[in-house]
Amino acid sequence: MADAAHAKDNGVDTNTPSTRAKVQAFGGFLTNMVLPNIGAFIAWGLLTALFIPTGWIPNEELAQIVDPAINYLLPLLLAITGGRMVGGQRGAVMGAIGAIGLIVGADIPMFLGAMVIGPLGGLIIKKFDKIIENRVPAGFEMIVNNFSLGILGFLLMILSFYFIGPTIESANNLVTAAIEALVATGLLPLLSLINEPAKVLFLNNVIDQGIYYPLGMQASAEVGKSIYFTVASNPGPGLGLLLAFTFFGKKTARRTAPGAMIIHFLGGIHELYFPYVLMKPLTIIGMIAGGMSGIAVFSLFDAGLTAGPSPGSIIAYLGLTPKGNFIGIIAGVLVAAVVTFLVTAFILKLDRSSDEEDISASVEKSKAMKQAGKEASATRQKNEEINTISFVCDAGAGSSAMGATTFRKKLQKNDIEGLEVKHYRIEDAPQHSDIIVVHEDLQERAKGAHPDKEIITIENYLNDPALERLMERLKKE
Amino acid sequence: MLAEYLEGNIRFLPSVDSWEEGIKKAADPLLHNGSITPQYIEDMIGNVNTNGPYIVIVPGIAMPHAKNDGSVVKTSVSYLKLEEPVKFPKDKEVHTFFVLAAEDSTGHLDLISDLSSILIEDEIKNKLEESKSEQEILEVLKMVE
Repeated sequence: MADAAHAKDNGVDTNTPSTRAKVQAFGGFLTNMVLPNIGAFIAWGLLTALFIPTGWIPNEELAQIVDPAINYLLPLLLAITGGRMVGGQRGAVMGAIGAIGLIVGADIPMFLGAMVIGPLGGLIIKKFDKIIENRVPAGFEMIVNNFSLGILGFLLMILSFYFIGPTIESANNLVTAAIEALVATGLLPLLSLINEPAKVLFLNNVIDQGIYYPLGMQASAEVGKSIYFTVASNPGPGLGLLLAFTFFGKKTARRTAPGAMIIHFLGGIHELYFPYVLMKPLTIIGMIAGGMSGIAVFSLFDAGLTAGPSPGSIIAYLGLTPKGNFIGIIAGVLVAAVVTFLVTAFILKLDRSSDEEDISASVEKSKAMKQAGKEASATRQKNEEINTISFVCDAGAGSSAMGATTFRKKLQKNDIEGLEVKHYRIEDAPQHSDIIVVHEDLQERAKGAHPDKEIITIENYLNDPALERLMERLKKE
Repeated sequence: MLAEYLEGNIRFLPSVDSWEEGIKKAADPLLHNGSITPQYIEDMIGNVNTNGPYIVIVPGIAMPHAKNDGSVVKTSVSYLKLEEPVKFPKDKEVHTFFVLAAEDSTGHLDLISDLSSILIEDEIKNKLEESKSEQEILEVLKMVE
């Protein structure tokens, strides 16, 4: 997460942000949207591996949770996180409202859609709030806030139901058509070009059960086995990817990957590795390379499975391997894992080295800045334009509100316009805050929650010398 | 707005033994009319113990409050004036309490806005501090509204 912040700093600080910095900032955004929700993916993965009809201890009642959780819970979480990152708590609500329209409007899990609509919802409400700021008469804030969110959300819900959901679904149909065309060419490894991206978008069940298993069933009825059962369900590439993250990933991703690996490879719940690809989209190249090599090896050995492995776990694989095919199947899985591991490791290392450059560069920069001004806390980003000032306190209701209200009044008196001055709970202050104002008693907590922000500490929420200095700074702008 | 909310919730006392007692006494009218539960008083005191006396928003004036964990029934405010100031941690002396109980983080902003208008203007703030009865205080408040 610090990477994201650094990448972002890079984009903001320099006058002409490099393309690389922009790409990194975007990657960091995806990571931050997915990573906080991995726990939910694991919960769902455990549930699915255990209780679906083909699971370890089938349980019809508990298995009822599987579908609602993947269709509603997981996409909503992504949309909420994405919305919050752009537009704070109001953005989170807006993202969830938009996502539910999307989910109900489509028949497949809407992950990609949720990752688009969440931030979009956040953006809409943020822009709207900016427009009406300072124009709402005192006492009407709550009604305006609630109804603006309600009405905009209502519209977004309808829009996503009718337009965005179906757009993504038609992309899904396109994928189906493309796979059928590739099958017709007879060059099976090419299938990975479509399989892997489609899987990561949670279309795995659609393509497996909708396309490959019926094809496989036909062949299996005639010759007792089919390679189609393996083309998208091979657990090898996912294993390779998670291994690569385990060794070369960063921070949280690195620590969570081993757990995901067990649920993926032994439990056969491929969904567990999807978030890792979503947060570093380039790694899809590793997945495709691994998938292709796997299919090539299966073809070479003329190997196949007797039925569709569901879930696609190594144990289901071995259980469904007909006599004489073990070498081919095991080789296919292993080769796929090794190829994906190597390619992904290369991609992660590349990413890492460029990040390290950035980190050392930004350390240099902040050192230089620190030396520039002695008033340590008040000068960290002295030259930057100030747009957003967030007053924070423990509950985000009392003293921070008092501070923000009073400061807004003073700004008005001084005819300073166009600033966003709001109050939050310490941890909820939005990422785009330029300055965070907090009481000195709470400064440790504020620094912990916002290590990369300029923090002004005050003793008096109404008339503090530090606030007067801030006002002088704003006057100069 | 603020005057409306404060009506009936204003108290005067010669002194209290501790800042904890000050908060309790100041919040008493709200507990009495059912706007808050005893838990909220505990929370306000706990807030100072964990986070320090940051609720002393201007020298002499404290605004005890805490997060609403189901302990605030109705957004409300009460006022307590002490003749003898009481010491908060870090030796902060307080003679005036505005207890704030907010249902959520937006519904009470108009109250806060009024309160800030009063405290910004030294003249009005002084008048408030000199007021000796509920009637006088309400009159001062109505001046700003």
